[in-house]
Amino acid sequence: MSPNKHTSTLLWGATALGALGVLGTYVTAGHERFWANWVLWFVLIFTLGLGSLFIVALEHLVSARWSVPIRRIPERLATLLLLAIPVGLIALFAIPVLYPGARPEAAQHPILVGKAFWLSLPFFSVRTLIAFGLCVLGLAVLVGGSLKQDTTKDPAFNFRARKFAPAFMAIFALVITMIAFDWISGLTPEWYSDIFGVYVFAGAFLSGLAATALSVLYLQDQDRLEGVRGDHLYNLGAFLFAFTVFWSYIGFAQYMLLWYANLPDEVIYYKVRLAGAWRAVTISLAFLHFILPFFALVTRDSKKDPKRLRRVAYLMLGAHVLDMYWLIFPALGAKPCFSWPELSFALFFISGILLWVRGAMQKGEDMPVGDPFLREGLEFRL
Amino acid sequence: MSETSYSVLGVFATPDALMAAIPKARAAKLGTVEAYTPYPIHGIDDALGLRRSPLGGMVLVMGILGAVTAFGFQYWISAIDYPIITGGKPPDSWEAFIPIMFEVTVLFATFTAGLGMLLLLNKLPFFGHPVLSSKAITGITRDRYVLAIEAEHQGFDSAAAAKTLKEAGAIDVEVLPAPDRSPFLTSDFILRTLGGIFVACLVAGLTMFFATKWFPLLRPMANMQDQPRLNAQKPSAFFKDGHGMQRPVAGTVARGHLPTATGTQEAAATLVNPLPRTKEMFAVGRKAYLNRCEVCHGVVGNGQGSLTAAYGAKPANLQAQQFRDYPDGKIYWAIVNGKNAMPAHAADLTETQRWAVVHYVRALQRAQNAKDEDLKVVAP
Repeated sequence: MSPNKHTSTLLWGATALGALGVLGTYVTAGHERFWANWVLWFVLIFTLGLGSLFIVALEHLVSARWSVPIRRIPERLATLLLLAIPVGLIALFAIPVLYPGARPEAAQHPILVGKAFWLSLPFFSVRTLIAFGLCVLGLAVLVGGSLKQDTTKDPAFNFRARKFAPAFMAIFALVITMIAFDWISGLTPEWYSDIFGVYVFAGAFLSGLAATALSVLYLQDQDRLEGVRGDHLYNLGAFLFAFTVFWSYIGFAQYMLLWYANLPDEVIYYKVRLAGAWRAVTISLAFLHFILPFFALVTRDSKKDPKRLRRVAYLMLGAHVLDMYWLIFPALGAKPCFSWPELSFALFFISGILLWVRGAMQKGEDMPVGDPFLREGLEFRL
Repeated sequence: MSETSYSVLGVFATPDALMAAIPKARAAKLGTVEAYTPYPIHGIDDALGLRRSPLGGMVLVMGILGAVTAFGFQYWISAIDYPIITGGKPPDSWEAFIPIMFEVTVLFATFTAGLGMLLLLNKLPFFGHPVLSSKAITGITRDRYVLAIEAEHQGFDSAAAAKTLKEAGAIDVEVLPAPDRSPFLTSDFILRTLGGIFVACLVAGLTMFFATKWFPLLRPMANMQDQPRLNAQKPSAFFKDGHGMQRPVAGTVARGHLPTATGTQEAAATLVNPLPRTKEMFAVGRKAYLNRCEVCHGVVGNGQGSLTAAYGAKPANLQAQQFRDYPDGKIYWAIVNGKNAMPAHAADLTETQRWAVVHYVRALQRAQNAKDEDLKVVAP
């Protein structure tokens, strides 16, 4: 048995084991906990896929050349959006359980009555379906076109993608804001923060970058990305570095304004997260999502050191999971809980994501061989 | 060639030729190898073996110092030296310090980066780098790539350097003589600069002094003069009634004070003098009475004050039966609000002084109408 096949068997086994735990959660640990975990992993897969697609679109938008040799990696990661769609469709069943705006009690709530139409189950579902449709459109144009270019070698794709990229940025902003407001902020519909979509975007982009960096290093170890050098890694590291600061900037800006204004309906959001056991989670989030990666990547050499970059990328993915957990779980009035249900959900979805990404990584070319700018990208030097 | 040459320049036609020549020039170990090119060339830093710039470390240290400085200073101001509750937040709220910490971090870091690079590392200002006066400089700014072997000490062998560069493929070689004076900052230059700044300040100051003296109505900056504010004795358009200062809401009682007599005099009749009848209180009342009341009501309260005759007024004779029958509250009311021609003394006398005056007036009334029994009270 080849090691490749061995890993595959292991992943399938882990997925099956995780699935058992997930079913067990539904039966024994209560529906609310099941759906909270399910929504968490839907948001995680979705932000990972959308963040990766954003990297692809960003390259076309600014006509970046350095990232052409590694573009196939975020393109493959972006197909996680296709995995997120069935997960999201199942998550629609969570709406009447978790989301106060879609529950019958909302009719008595003086604030939610005004938002009733927007938060109701039908319109909520329609918005999610629209988001999925827009993601599939982005995937079809940017990723589908790029894959086709491998055989046709038609440079027309580059022009098409460059024209589509600005439109996609608007679509991207709409989709990530809708998902953030509906699926995360919708858990506490009385609370609002304009910047919330940007906050989720910062996390999504970071998770996409971290996954891209990990995959690049993984493929490099297998000698499948010939010509990708420290200069390319440096740019990925620099992006990661910059966006840890962006994330904390947005996160702190939101916190400070709400803290200063001290309005009861706004500040309750942080009151919950800074009281009791959640306080420790909040502080460790700031440490893991900002301080640790910031100082890990602050020097020039660390950004292209594969060992360092790999560790920081793992850390960023973990911190993104913690970030989304920190957004979703306190909203449900829960204490920080991490036990076998969370563990089996993590096992199920992480091994599922790995299976999906492994499958994607084994299909087709590892670099966009049809792109006329590939050579220029390989020659990139800092 | 002489030992006083500054460096030997070798001109190359392409960047590749330059890059290929660098290892040979460095292997000769004749002096510092430096490159002059029209644009940055990838990998040339490593080829020249340039030391990593210490600027990054300097910026990091100064940035952290900026953050610590801003935090420490704000903490000291807000929590230690002058703690004031603002917006209902505790004085040591670190959240409010963060934006300024961020700004000061950036300030320290950028100043360190900019000034550290220019002054410390590039040793600016200096007047003309020797290479600028070479023949090759026109090519360097256009399409030529120059490798220089620069003299490190007196024993520099410019002939050997020229030979090395020729062998490394230079299409032209030029020996630069050492400049006749130091191109770097001199004390003479510093003195002249400081003198110039001094003269400029003097001229500007004198100009301003005479300009404002001779043309006083010229207001170069009216921002301080015309700022929106309340001026004493001037109307203000801010409130509807045109007053700058607003009266307190009716019935307002200052902290630590009792409600004052604001109703009618009849309503005030029920007020009870809260002060004890002690010698100290009579002393307070006597002093206040002599300051404020005596001029009209007289030393003994008979309405024959020192100013009564001069103005022809008829102040009340406090010894009259009518006032002897007054309850304490009505006298107090008259002090607070005034009566007929008598002005209100609420602004002049504190609450304690007013009630002490009431005690004193009572004492005057009793002294002027003393009975036999009063004599039996023996003062110690």
